[in-house]
Amino acid sequence: MAEETRVEKAAVVRKTRRERGMKGFKSNKKQKRDMAAPRRSFKVDKRMEKMFKKRARDYNSDSDDDGEKRNRYGSAATVGEKNNAGAASVNDDDSDVDMAKEFEGSGDEEDGEIMPGIIKLAEGCRAFKMAFKSILKKSVSDDSLGPVLSAHKKLVVEKLAQEEAEKKVKGEARKQRQMVGEKGHVKPANYLDAHDKFLIGVATKGVVKLFNAVNKAQSAQKGLDPSRSKDAKVIKKRRKEAFFSELGKKSLPVGAKVDTFSGPKDSEGPSWAPLRDNYLLTNPKLKDWDKMQETNEADAVGGMSEDSGSDED
Amino acid sequence: MPRLRNKKKVPYIRPVVKKQASVNHVTGDKIPKSFVFSRGKLPGPLKQLEMDLRKLMLPYTALKLKEKKRNNVKDFLKVAGPMGVTHFLILSKTESAPYLRVARTPQGPTLTFKIHEYSLSADVAKSQLRPRCPQDLFRNAPLIVLSGFGSGEQHMKSTTVMFQNIFPAIDISTVKLSSCQRIVLLNYNKDTKLIDFRHYSIRLQPVGVSRRIRKFVQNHQAPDLRSLKDVSDFVTKAGYGSESEVDEEAATVTLASDLGRVNRASTKSAIKLQEIGPRMTLQLTKVEEGLCSGGILFSEYGGSGSSEKDKRQDNHENLEEEEDDEEDEDEDLEEQENDV
Repeated sequence: MAEETRVEKAAVVRKTRRERGMKGFKSNKKQKRDMAAPRRSFKVDKRMEKMFKKRARDYNSDSDDDGEKRNRYGSAATVGEKNNAGAASVNDDDSDVDMAKEFEGSGDEEDGEIMPGIIKLAEGCRAFKMAFKSILKKSVSDDSLGPVLSAHKKLVVEKLAQEEAEKKVKGEARKQRQMVGEKGHVKPANYLDAHDKFLIGVATKGVVKLFNAVNKAQSAQKGLDPSRSKDAKVIKKRRKEAFFSELGKKSLPVGAKVDTFSGPKDSEGPSWAPLRDNYLLTNPKLKDWDKMQETNEADAVGGMSEDSGSDED
Repeated sequence: MPRLRNKKKVPYIRPVVKKQASVNHVTGDKIPKSFVFSRGKLPGPLKQLEMDLRKLMLPYTALKLKEKKRNNVKDFLKVAGPMGVTHFLILSKTESAPYLRVARTPQGPTLTFKIHEYSLSADVAKSQLRPRCPQDLFRNAPLIVLSGFGSGEQHMKSTTVMFQNIFPAIDISTVKLSSCQRIVLLNYNKDTKLIDFRHYSIRLQPVGVSRRIRKFVQNHQAPDLRSLKDVSDFVTKAGYGSESEVDEEAATVTLASDLGRVNRASTKSAIKLQEIGPRMTLQLTKVEEGLCSGGILFSEYGGSGSSEKDKRQDNHENLEEEEDDEEDEDEDLEEQENDV
C-alpha cells in the first residue's frame, strides 16, 4: 500500500512539474530538493506520459495482485501451507524484479536522464515491499491470541490449547463414569427421618421380644445343672414348653397390636406348615410325601390362607 | 548320595489357621457361612459396599476373600464345598443399577435384588454425631428381624427362608445376651414392594436412674461437681431428659443375666439401637431355581414364573425345611415378625 501511495505522489509531482514547465520556470526550492540530480528541463511528450501511466498501472496491478495473494494465503493456518505461500511469493518477487528491470531498461532507452528518480523510487519500494510482505505473511493468524509473530510461540500455544481441550474431554468422561458408578449411592441425612424412626421401632420390638423370651427361657431353668443327665432331661422338656406357653400367653393380649410372632399361631395352625418340627410326624398324609406332591401343596396353601386370615385380626 | 536341597531355602510354613467350627457346639446345628464377592468390575463405592457386607456377615464369612477377574462362580463353588460355605452374596453392576444376588450353595435358589439406593457404613457413621463401634461388635453373628414378609406370595416366602437361614440359629435357652450385639432388619413394604435393609448395633442402658448417675457409672470419670453445693444435689437433681427417652417404655427388658458392669440382671434396661451401615433399599426382581441359573420361579418384570414352577419351588422348600432341626425352627419363629 505504501509503495502505491508513493508512486501516486511521484506521479503528482511529475504532473506539477509538467504544469510548471508549461507555465515557465519559477525557481522553487522544494522542487529542487525533490528532483535533486537532474536539473535539466525536459519535455513530457505523449509517449512518456503513456509510459508513466503504464508504469503506475503496473504498480497498481502489482499491488493488487499482492493483495489478492495475501488474501488467498491469509486464511491458511498451518505451517506447511505457509511455506508454500512463501515459495509462491518468492516467485512472485522474482517476476516483480524482472518487470522492474524491464521498465528500467525501457526508461534508459527512452531518456536516461530523468529515469533515475523513478528507478530509485521503484527500488526503494521493492525493498519496502519485501519487508512489508514478510511481516504481513507472518501475521496471518487470526486466532483469539492476536498477532503473535513468533511461529514457535504460536505452536506452543496451539499445543497448550489442544491439551486443555483433551483434558476437558477426559475430565468429562471421568465425571460421567463416576456418575454411573455412584448411581444409587445416597448419603443419609444427619437427622432421623420418620421412616428410619419407624424401622428402628420395628427392630427394637424384635429385640425386646427376643430378650424377653430369652429371659423367660433362661430363668425357668435356673438352678438346674445341665451337665447332670437328670436335670438335662428336665431342661429339655421344659425348654420348649415354657417357650411356647410364654409366647402363647403373650400373643392373646398383644393380638390387636401391630406385630405378632408367627410362633403362637404355630400351636393351632402353622404359619407355614413345614416350619413345624412335627410336621412330618403328625401329618398322616405326609407318610409318603414324595408320591403325593399335589395334596401336600394344597395342604400348605390351606394352612397359609388360614394364617393370613388370622394375621388380619 | 543324592544331592540335597538347598539348605538356605526356608521351608514354607503353613500359617496356623484356627479352624472355625462348622457346627454349633451347643446345639449341634450347622453354622451357615457365606462368601461375599462381586461379578464384573465394580466402581469404588460398590466395592466399599461389598466390604461392608462382608463385615456385616462376620464372623462366618471370608473378610479378605480375594477375587480375580478370571474367577467365576464355579470357582467359588468349588471352594465353598470343603469350607462349608452355604451362602453366596454376589454384587454386580449394570448400566441401570447395582444388583445383589443372594444364593444358597450348591443348588440354589438364587434371589436377585435390585439395589435402588444404598448408603455405606462410612456414610452412616458420618451422619451420626457419635458413631459407635465397640471392639467385639463383629465377634458374633447378628440377629435378623424380618418384618412385613407375612404376605402369602411364594417369592416372599423364599426370601424369608433364605434370610432366616443366612445367620446361625440361636438357641433361646442357652444364648448369652452379651453375644447379641447387632441386628439386621429387613422390612418389606407392601405398597412399594421395596425391602429396607438396615443394620443396627444393640446397646443396653439401665432404666430408672437419672442421666447423671448413669453417665457416672458408665464413664469411670469423676463428675464435675463445681456448680453443686452438696453431693445430694448430684443425685437428686434430675438431668434434662431427651426426646428419645419418652417412648422408651416399650423398649425396656428385664435381663436374664448380668450384661457387663452396668446392666444387672435384677434391674430393667432399655434397648437402644444405633445404626451401623450399610443400608440398602432392595427390590426382589428374580428368583431362580439353581445357583445363578436354572428355571425362573419368579420375575418382577417378565412374569414368567408359572404356577407349576411355584409349586415345585414350594415342595423344594418344604423338603429343605424338614431337614432343619427344632432349634433352628425355634429361632425362625422367634425372629420372624409378621406385621400387618
